[in-house]
Amino acid sequence: MYNLVRNENMKIYNRVRTWVLVGLLVLASILFTIAFYAVNDYSSSGDWRERTQKDIETYHQTMASTSGMVEDQVSRMIKISEYRLEHDIPPQNNSIWGGTIAGSGLVFLVSIFTVIIAADIVAGEFAAGTIKLLLIRPASRAKVLLSKYLATLQFSLLLLVVLFLVSFVASGLLFGFKGVGSPYLYLGGDGFVHERSMIQHAFSTYGLKCVNLIMIVTMAFMISSVFRSSALSIALSIVALLMGDLLVVLLGKYEWMRFYLFSNTDLTQYLEGVPPFEGMTMGFSICVLIGYFLLFNGLSWLLFTKRDVRS
Amino acid sequence: MDKPTVVIKGLTKKIGSRLIIDDLNFEVPKGEVFGFLGPNGAGKTTTIRMMVGLMKPTFGDVWIEGKSIRHEFEQAIRHVGAIVENPEMYKYLSGYKNLIHYARMIPGISMQRIDEVVRLVGLDQRIHDKVKSYSLGMRQRLGVAQALLHKPNLLILDEPTNGLDPAGIRELRDYLRQLAREEGISIVVSSHLLAEMELMCDRIGIIQKGKLVDVQLIQDFVTEGEEERYWFRISSPDEAALVIEGMGITAVRREQGLELAVTGEQAADVNEQLVKAGIRVYGFHPVKKSLEDKFLEMTGGETHV
Repeated sequence: MYNLVRNENMKIYNRVRTWVLVGLLVLASILFTIAFYAVNDYSSSGDWRERTQKDIETYHQTMASTSGMVEDQVSRMIKISEYRLEHDIPPQNNSIWGGTIAGSGLVFLVSIFTVIIAADIVAGEFAAGTIKLLLIRPASRAKVLLSKYLATLQFSLLLLVVLFLVSFVASGLLFGFKGVGSPYLYLGGDGFVHERSMIQHAFSTYGLKCVNLIMIVTMAFMISSVFRSSALSIALSIVALLMGDLLVVLLGKYEWMRFYLFSNTDLTQYLEGVPPFEGMTMGFSICVLIGYFLLFNGLSWLLFTKRDVRS
Repeated sequence: MDKPTVVIKGLTKKIGSRLIIDDLNFEVPKGEVFGFLGPNGAGKTTTIRMMVGLMKPTFGDVWIEGKSIRHEFEQAIRHVGAIVENPEMYKYLSGYKNLIHYARMIPGISMQRIDEVVRLVGLDQRIHDKVKSYSLGMRQRLGVAQALLHKPNLLILDEPTNGLDPAGIRELRDYLRQLAREEGISIVVSSHLLAEMELMCDRIGIIQKGKLVDVQLIQDFVTEGEEERYWFRISSPDEAALVIEGMGITAVRREQGLELAVTGEQAADVNEQLVKAGIRVYGFHPVKKSLEDKFLEMTGGETHV
């Protein structure tokens, strides 16, 4: 199994295409960090204490005119801002961590790039005919398929690490590295503000975005096994990726859309936002996601191991 | 007697309601070169794909070294080296990396073995170049290299001479014969080129519309049912035909002469009579029926009609 994954990696990293994708990601994350810096540097001129004080006033005004979920949200922000002033902890936005965490916004680019690799990794072998020489070895088709899946996930992990490191270093160079030690503030279930290490917060932010990533990659992988044509697989997967979230909004009025994959992939909606459907919980979404995950992988497995290799 | 390397029993493939391969049965003993002969579309490639597990038989099975390809795939395929259709390699990798790729999939292949195989197929100069830059002949040789990497007991080659120049074909042929003779490897080759098969194989199986029409030793196939015929090269075929028919023998017109169904003794008599009748005989010699005629005869001679 280890050797099979090594083979798949060899086939991924010996292609120019792969390094073009990595290069693009590096470039994109540098540009993104610079843009983030430019915007924040402008808005954060002057003393942060004065600004925070002003923010708190604005929050109070908003509080007066809203209710329900938004009210909770705003009162949370007030508590954190007050804690910030009390303990002299500057906001994260214009610090190295602000830039790094903002970099997680580029995880969608990691998704697209991994989808390109995933959609091609099975279909490409059929298109080039190399599958015939690959499957006549003493390795079961299931193992070959699994090795391809693992290599794809490894590739997405590599891209994530690249994204994180480039964002971190670029932010450090722009904002300075002195803010590395400052903590992340959040409101616990007990109603008090707590501190957490920033690196832990950054990892969990990236981690939650990975749920979406894994689901999309798994879907692309399935499409790759089903269609056996690289171009079609890549195109279909990217369309699904781009249309996925849009459909949630367009078909939002239908109740059954709560079972739709892309209504559930963003788990951060349970932590910081509002879920798209009334009564959806984190547990529900996780169940739905596991369901899709099994479905996608089951289909890939079934089609790859049972179908004849003809062309 | 050793057990046969390959046993095929009742091999059948249906796609939808179409019968592609119909109840194939044959065996290939150790060290034999078995030729699989048939026109394009007769089912050679389908049969080979079932033999290496790329397609699943509808009925029947293939046993390689006693292991079923359907139920003990990994143990059965371990003994097989194959090229199915064209040797399609990873073009963006070097020839060497391609071989490493396949070597990793089978336990117990050393780096020395890879070098050995590379030398064997004569690719040592170019092995670190990308396959993209290889000629068709070089790709074919790389294909042979990957098939031999794990010292298989059975070599399956689908149309192995495709794209090779005459020197390459000769080289491959000699090499296959040598493998069979010296290492006891059994070889199954498919081809639609008869002359090729005649020189390469010990035995041939003829497949026609998914059915195995006949399996014969190559010598038997070439000489069997050979009725003697002689070809006479003469000055005036029309006059000669009259003389010959006067002897009670039917003559068939061929380019610049006549062809007769006669024995050597009768041919001498005919010659005598022709000379006596004043017809100039430039020569006569026996006609061997070609493998091609044989093959067409056997497969219903569809290309004739």
